[in-house]
Amino acid sequence: MVIDDSRAMRLILRRIVSGLNFDVVEAGNGREALDRLAELEVVPELALIDWNMPEMNGLEFVTAVRADKKYRGMTLMMVTTESEHGQIVRALAAGAHEYVIKPFTPDAIVDKLVMLGLIPDGAHA
Amino acid sequence: MSATMAPTGDDLQQIAEQVWASYLDTDGEKPLVPLPPDKLSRDVVAGVAVSGAWHGLVLVACSSTASKEAAAALLGMGADEVSEGDVDDALGELANVIGGNVKSLLPEPCTLGLPEVHNDADNDPWLTGDEICRFEATWMGEPMEVSVLEKPQGGETE
Repeated sequence: MVIDDSRAMRLILRRIVSGLNFDVVEAGNGREALDRLAELEVVPELALIDWNMPEMNGLEFVTAVRADKKYRGMTLMMVTTESEHGQIVRALAAGAHEYVIKPFTPDAIVDKLVMLGLIPDGAHA
Repeated sequence: MSATMAPTGDDLQQIAEQVWASYLDTDGEKPLVPLPPDKLSRDVVAGVAVSGAWHGLVLVACSSTASKEAAAALLGMGADEVSEGDVDDALGELANVIGGNVKSLLPEPCTLGLPEVHNDADNDPWLTGDEICRFEATWMGEPMEVSVLEKPQGGETE
């Protein structure tokens, strides 16, 4: 799942993870993402989450997902311009597993997914 | 760089070049050239407000042609297919990413607002403030500019 209020950024992230054989669903903010999750029959393995979004921001989404046992298996990765140390700590404390700061290269995303064990090392070569 | 120093034009150049390399010039064929254009253009201005320990705006301004090329590059379409909404989305995201990186050079804590895109820069009260740094460049032969405006503390930035 790719959650970002920018269609351009969703497209960039979609291209990267689609190339790694993930099926992708998109949402434009945290509220929309929760609604999409409720509709899906299978819980996504991974969510890439922007921080600054209208209606419900990424931190609020992470907090909501972590409060729901149904989504315990989801790996949550913040992909955001928020680079203050305090903000990163807040996101990780709320339940995010990883943090990528924009601008990123495709390799930065891939490396994090390898580290998280979601794709095997070298699968993306 | 210390987190309490004001950003400089060199900082803006470094940030803009990183953003271009990541999103707009991934194959190195359309570099952002750090040469001031013959003529500046502010047909489209995208910005994000910063508030908190520092108040101001981070702006990306360019010609209409450059804005369409940027949207086309980000969205993977032809420049002639780009809509106004595509330009707003793409330029807004560029301002958001550049603004977030500029924020890391400003005093903490600060909050980044959501991006706004304005098309009548000369008559827009939102786009006012004291310029503290600027980076001018040429991209695909078109003017491109990144700047940081400081607003007096207590001034409205949202």
